[in-house]
Amino acid sequence: MQKFAPSVLVLALGAALAGCQDQGPQKDHVKINKNPYPSTYAVSDSSSTLITNATVLTGTGERLDAADVYIVDGKISQVGKDLNVSADNTVDAQGKWVTPGIIDVHSHLGAYPSPSVESHQDGNEMTSPNTAEVWVEHSVWPQDPGFNRAREGGITTLQILPGSANLFGGRGVTLKNVPAHTMQGMKFPDAPYGLKMACGENPKRVYGSNKIAPQTRMGNMAGYRQAWIEATEYKLAWEQYDAAHAAGLNPDAPKRDIKYDTLRGVLDGEIMIHNHCYKAEEMAMMIDLGKEFNYHAGTFHHGIEAYKVADLLADNGNCAALWPDWWGFKMEAYDMVQENVAIVDAVKNSCAVVHSDSDTTIQRLNHEASKVMHTANRKGFDLKEQDAIKWITYNAAKSLGVEKETGSLSQGKQADVVIWDKNPFSVYAKAETVYVDGAKVYDRNDDKYQAVSDFMLGQR
Amino acid sequence: MTKFKLSLITGALLASSSAFAQVTAITNATVHTSTEQGILKDATVVIEGGKITAINPSNVNADITIDANDRILTPGFIGSMNQLGLVEVGAVAGSRDAGDDKAGVDFDTSSAFNPRSSLIPYARKGGVTQNVAVPYGGDSIFAGLGFVADLSGEFDSVTDKHTALVVHLGAKSKGSRALSYKQLVDKLEERQQALAKKDDKKDKDKKPSVEETVLTQVLNGQMPLVTHLTRASDILEIIKIKEQFGINLIIWGADDAQLVKSQLAKAKVPVIISAVSNLPTSFDSLHASLETAGALEKAGVKVILSIGGDGSHNVYQLRFDAGIAVSNGMSHEGAIKALTANVAESFGIEGGKIAKGERADLVLWSADPFEISTHVQKMWINGTEVTTESRHDKLRDRYTTESKLPRAYTK
Repeated sequence: MQKFAPSVLVLALGAALAGCQDQGPQKDHVKINKNPYPSTYAVSDSSSTLITNATVLTGTGERLDAADVYIVDGKISQVGKDLNVSADNTVDAQGKWVTPGIIDVHSHLGAYPSPSVESHQDGNEMTSPNTAEVWVEHSVWPQDPGFNRAREGGITTLQILPGSANLFGGRGVTLKNVPAHTMQGMKFPDAPYGLKMACGENPKRVYGSNKIAPQTRMGNMAGYRQAWIEATEYKLAWEQYDAAHAAGLNPDAPKRDIKYDTLRGVLDGEIMIHNHCYKAEEMAMMIDLGKEFNYHAGTFHHGIEAYKVADLLADNGNCAALWPDWWGFKMEAYDMVQENVAIVDAVKNSCAVVHSDSDTTIQRLNHEASKVMHTANRKGFDLKEQDAIKWITYNAAKSLGVEKETGSLSQGKQADVVIWDKNPFSVYAKAETVYVDGAKVYDRNDDKYQAVSDFMLGQR
Repeated sequence: MTKFKLSLITGALLASSSAFAQVTAITNATVHTSTEQGILKDATVVIEGGKITAINPSNVNADITIDANDRILTPGFIGSMNQLGLVEVGAVAGSRDAGDDKAGVDFDTSSAFNPRSSLIPYARKGGVTQNVAVPYGGDSIFAGLGFVADLSGEFDSVTDKHTALVVHLGAKSKGSRALSYKQLVDKLEERQQALAKKDDKKDKDKKPSVEETVLTQVLNGQMPLVTHLTRASDILEIIKIKEQFGINLIIWGADDAQLVKSQLAKAKVPVIISAVSNLPTSFDSLHASLETAGALEKAGVKVILSIGGDGSHNVYQLRFDAGIAVSNGMSHEGAIKALTANVAESFGIEGGKIAKGERADLVLWSADPFEISTHVQKMWINGTEVTTESRHDKLRDRYTTESKLPRAYTK
């Protein structure tokens, strides 16, 4: 592993402390810029919109029939019956359904874009088991036609994650699904960063087959623990430096390392863990690992066996982002049950999320949630549309740390809204109109609002 | 047919079981026949000895009568182009039998078929009763031979071998597709010339190799040639080859088929597509669209729907794909055929229709078979009622049943 050994770090710390004794004029305080690639996303249209007479699923567990949704200045202003308001645009949604914009917490769009040619394989930095230093936003190709297909399926927010080859795969980024020709133009303002971690088969296969650690699951655990020990030392070094500087001393700043900047961000509670982890026993250990190093284990992605530890996940505040039915492609995906999401969801204080990890099913997360709802209801669950929609809206927003901004039709939230031509849990349902921050970004019946990627322009 | 037919053996086995004599009548059904008869309302379907013996008979003397209460009865759906029974876990090499570096024209994986695979009862949840499995082959453009199995999970469930020859054409990661076409044409011409010579004189008694037999059957149109390719120009190129040799061609993949739909209709070439393939995943697929299935149907092309990606573990999703095809322009009846009669007819196998004398592979649905809220109420394979329970259900029950003992004791 490319890292400074703890002994070197201790020496560096010693040097920093020695610097505290320096009596010369105080050097400038070295500060780390935590947002060097800031969002340039701007709301494209601030006109007000009134959607009338729709069946509204709020994303917070409520269903309102024949209700109106009023959008002002890009925010949800009111939701209710017979709103007595005037708007720049009025949409008669009689017979239609309205939901919050759909959120996918697990996508590789832009990093593994279409066409999936060799030059586009930008999602997995498979050069070391710990590549916490990479940021997937630096791989995102905003012209991926998949972003447009996903928007046509109602996706308004999505997290792009690096792949799962590494124990620490790097930072994820949350995007607004708006057409843009720079990554920054899509970046969700002020969304917390995610850190991708991976359990199980992938890291040990990728590295173990080349006789590089990890080669086993115990090797995986050793790799995480070693990294968190080093990250803790790094955090301490900076904190001591900051404290010494604040005390008027003249310390030298610790050596900067962007890998440990990211891990420290997790320890500081600023970066959220998104952990590719299929198996019950591994999720249980990753929760303990977080406790060992004093960080929160975050969201478990793919959790095929989450139903085996549903109580544990809820007790520890972990979201589980799951497929309705994918299975069998590898050993750790063998114990799938179709009711997985519903079993996780049934526990008090749970956070069940339906995700895609696919440029195809991201276009129909409504169907994916529907499969779970209907299968589970045949086995004694009593799930309704207003419950199931949370898996792809509010709970997903919570997993990403943006639940105060989006994920439901609550007053004051960003007006990320989808109008569906019918009940979105029907196989025949299609998103008809999609709004991001109140601006129309897709209209199935108006070519003007159907974005085309640079790549597809002029192809015949 | 010179293909291996196993129906005689199957018949013999069934004759020895008591189930043979049982007569089942499904009454008051809305029957989607997948034939020219279309949809029959309030219909009665009688099954006996693995066959459909009557539709709407004047009187029924059945051992078992099932009142469908107007619910929909369809032929069992037929999966295709996957490795069902040839793989248990994708990444576990020892559970995979669909590929081999040395695979070629004579690569027949039916001997490796495992009817006890856990994928088979899972697939039944989607109303799938039969499946055309194909090898993915090896180094050669010739992937090998498809075969058919029913989804009863019984040891005698392979019903047809040497069903089709699969060839991979189109884009290559190394080298040129031009050479693939040449290899295909050379192989066919070589066999054609050998057959012509044989007809002239001698050699008549020499037993042909499996490869020679396969190529003979492809050349005389008995065995379909399934070519995997997606670009429009490739579709036209393979149609030329079809016309040169008079072969029975099926095109699989065909993302860009909309661009050449009239040529496909004119050449009477069935097309196997994934209804949800709508991304330009390569320069061969720039026109992939959710509307392809409907557009091809309207142009008069026989469409077969199959699952893209891991079609083995996910074949149960066929009905949802069909629903998506319908919401993007395909007719509902056309989508039913794309999962039933079109598959059976294109591959020359039994099943896929509800008509007197057909295989009794039937599914009774709680409502519209494509709708997500719908489920299989009852299904029959070869006349025998089968369950949709799988080990997944056992796992669910184990972890949702209260017990003071560790879960391992809940069985």
